[in-house]
Amino acid sequence: MVMQVARRVSSMIVTLFGVSIIIFLILRLLPGNEVTASLGVSAGLLSRAQLAALDRYYGIGQPFYAQYGSWLGSVLTGNLGVSLASRTSVASLVGAALPVTLELAIAAMLIGEVIGVVFGVLGALRPAKLLDDVGQGISVFGLAVPTFVIGTGLVTFLASVFHYFPSSQGFVSITVNPWLNIQQIFFPALTLGLGIGAAVMRSTRTAMLEVIGLNFARTARGKGLSRRTVVWKHLLLAALVPIVTMSGIQLGYLLGGTVVVEDIFVLPGLGRLLLTSIDNRDFAVVQSVTLIYAAGFVFVNMLVDLLYTWIDPRTRA
Amino acid sequence: MGGRRQSNAVRAGARTKLLRVAVAAGAAAAAVTAGIGASSAGAASRVDRVDRVHRTAATRTFVVADTSSVEKLDPDVVTNFLDFQALGLIYQQLVQYNAKLQLKPELATSWSYSDGNKVLTFQLRKGVRFDDGEPFNAADVVASIDRALTPKTADASASFLSSVKKVVATGTYAVEFELSHPDNSILTGLTSVNFSMLPEAGIKAGNLATEPDGTGPFEFSSWSPNNSFVVKRNPHYWGGKVTLASVKIETVPTEQSIASALEANTAQLGLLTTPQVVDGLPSGLTRHKVLGLAYRALMLQDEHGPLANVDNRRAISCAITRHQVLQDAVFGDGRPVGPVPIGAFASKPVSVVCPTQNLKKAKAYLKKAGDPHGFTFSAIASDAEDPTDSAQATVVQSELSQAGIKMNVQNLAGTAYVQDWLAGKFQAAFAENGANPSPYVMYGRYFGAGGNLAVPAGYHSSTLQKLLAKGDAASTTAQQKPIWKKLSATLTTQAVWVWLFSAYNYAVTTSGVHGFQFEPTTTTSLIGLRTTKLS
Repeated sequence: MVMQVARRVSSMIVTLFGVSIIIFLILRLLPGNEVTASLGVSAGLLSRAQLAALDRYYGIGQPFYAQYGSWLGSVLTGNLGVSLASRTSVASLVGAALPVTLELAIAAMLIGEVIGVVFGVLGALRPAKLLDDVGQGISVFGLAVPTFVIGTGLVTFLASVFHYFPSSQGFVSITVNPWLNIQQIFFPALTLGLGIGAAVMRSTRTAMLEVIGLNFARTARGKGLSRRTVVWKHLLLAALVPIVTMSGIQLGYLLGGTVVVEDIFVLPGLGRLLLTSIDNRDFAVVQSVTLIYAAGFVFVNMLVDLLYTWIDPRTRA
Repeated sequence: MGGRRQSNAVRAGARTKLLRVAVAAGAAAAAVTAGIGASSAGAASRVDRVDRVHRTAATRTFVVADTSSVEKLDPDVVTNFLDFQALGLIYQQLVQYNAKLQLKPELATSWSYSDGNKVLTFQLRKGVRFDDGEPFNAADVVASIDRALTPKTADASASFLSSVKKVVATGTYAVEFELSHPDNSILTGLTSVNFSMLPEAGIKAGNLATEPDGTGPFEFSSWSPNNSFVVKRNPHYWGGKVTLASVKIETVPTEQSIASALEANTAQLGLLTTPQVVDGLPSGLTRHKVLGLAYRALMLQDEHGPLANVDNRRAISCAITRHQVLQDAVFGDGRPVGPVPIGAFASKPVSVVCPTQNLKKAKAYLKKAGDPHGFTFSAIASDAEDPTDSAQATVVQSELSQAGIKMNVQNLAGTAYVQDWLAGKFQAAFAENGANPSPYVMYGRYFGAGGNLAVPAGYHSSTLQKLLAKGDAASTTAQQKPIWKKLSATLTTQAVWVWLFSAYNYAVTTSGVHGFQFEPTTTTSLIGLRTTKLS
């Protein structure tokens, strides 16, 4: 187990190193630089002396490897650099945004898992009945309708019908006002959770249908175990590997989904920080946030792999 | 073996238990949050709404929603519209525009030219204090202008003060600007937030990029980059009582979300530019609109290819129906404009070549140019820079084709567009350019001698250079009028560019907001909050 974790961690480091180089190069291949991104066409109004001063400030003209080396060196020592747009530390920007995205991701995952597992199990137990149809309907809706459509529709509906849009009054941390915080997180989490739930539901239903007729299930029923025990203790456990796999994949995509949803629901998370920083060509922020997203994705994958071995001891070899 | 099986069974039991606990906890959490959502969206929403309104009114926190966010706090380096608007609440300039776009005293009470219009003297307002309580005087003006003109500062408007040789304090409340040549447009330039009056001590301390300190009606309170910017009432403000205790500018990334925030009354003022969103708002909200200080034009590079021929350019001008472009781009919510869209020198909103679309004349111009069957050229546009670009391009493309002119459109990402635009790497460009009551400020940078934007302007003419210099040196409106009229006529008869339209900007307020006036310039557009009340 320890060896497996060590192997995964080392491959995670290599992956993140590769990601950092790719992101660094892609950002430099984009047209324009920090000056044109920051000033737009007004950059043309600057004199040569002013442009030279800005070039020095932004470090424009330094070789790529020098810029990358300088950034990587800082990151490895825990210094994420300074946002050139706002002239504040990247660590403080990320520190403020990360908890919002984490809270949103956890809430969305929770909602998605509940919807997916409950409807998936119930649908498999009574195929083609009412609950199964409802589940299938939710599943098709969640998979077919993009999150930005669901999010925008939800915001417009709640605001115009109920005059309700709690996240637009400025995000409040759960430690400051738990009630308002839950209201602010619930609807964006629901928006994301529907998509997750749809995918998890399909995996759960299929996995449950596969194990429902197997010998061990018949034996369990034959032994006189209650229906609830058979379903939730034996069948679901046997079907857990594909469910966990799908959940892991969804959690990875969820990190990307938060970018759009945070924008719609006015949540000051990493996604919004990333979008603004891309617009501003704020390379230090974009690189750091992208690295955090990549680390999150890789970490979740590692966690899922480790979970397999915990759920199913046969995979430990 | 048996022990191992038992151990596995125990683990399996633990896993099952954990799974059940997790599912139960998830279900409970979802149920709780669903209940919260449902209750909030239902009956509680009315209570919440009333509470919110009362709470806001009591604490007088006024929320302004905008899609953009305040990016910088240093007034000398800002270029973003919202930065101008936000810092316009904190900082003041020597002179400013009123609602009719006439210059009025601000921190200067009067000004006069002498020595053949090469010395500009300002008398300063007495009794003005910065947020920190320090008095404002001539030393602050000298320090502020010197800072703006220092290349290291990279003040985006520094070129407007290129005629300034030196600024000296001639008394505690008097300053002189020594100019290299007579320059009347300098007063217009000085209205910009980029020439805000800063405290000399703050400049020396070098902390103005993080701790704004101005003389305006509000003082800086807090800033969360990308999210919000908060100001509170300035107790030292010289211009009368400020009614709102604090104003929070909240970033709401989409205009549709701003509309939702207004409907939910979590924002009391929304800054909008999209007519469709404004049209869709419920009737209880108040719409304020002003013609934006910007104009849309099809900029042409007039020195190469088919566009080097003035008759081909005139053919383009005659083939376009500006009203149709306006209709399709912003649903008609604006005005077709000429080269000078606003102010005392506004030109007629039509081309003197073709006041309206005239295909017969367009074809005659093509024939005269030696291209009777038309020609092909390309245009760049960017929806990222201006969301109406695609709509404008589609209409123009269709109308030009009626005259036999083929326009290929390249819709570029924002920075790619900016890069090509600055380098003049285009034949034509759909552009949204800043407008100003002073034609010199608008066009000196494009067509004046040594203009910073001569490359994207794509047209060089000694006639235009002379007109601009003459207009800038003329000291009275009466002297300036015929000069600027001739400038407009030259620009349109030569079809240097094709001027299309100016669109409205909107500020939408909720029902409890009273006394807000939406001002036309970017710097002053939110200054009406000084006298705004919340019921």
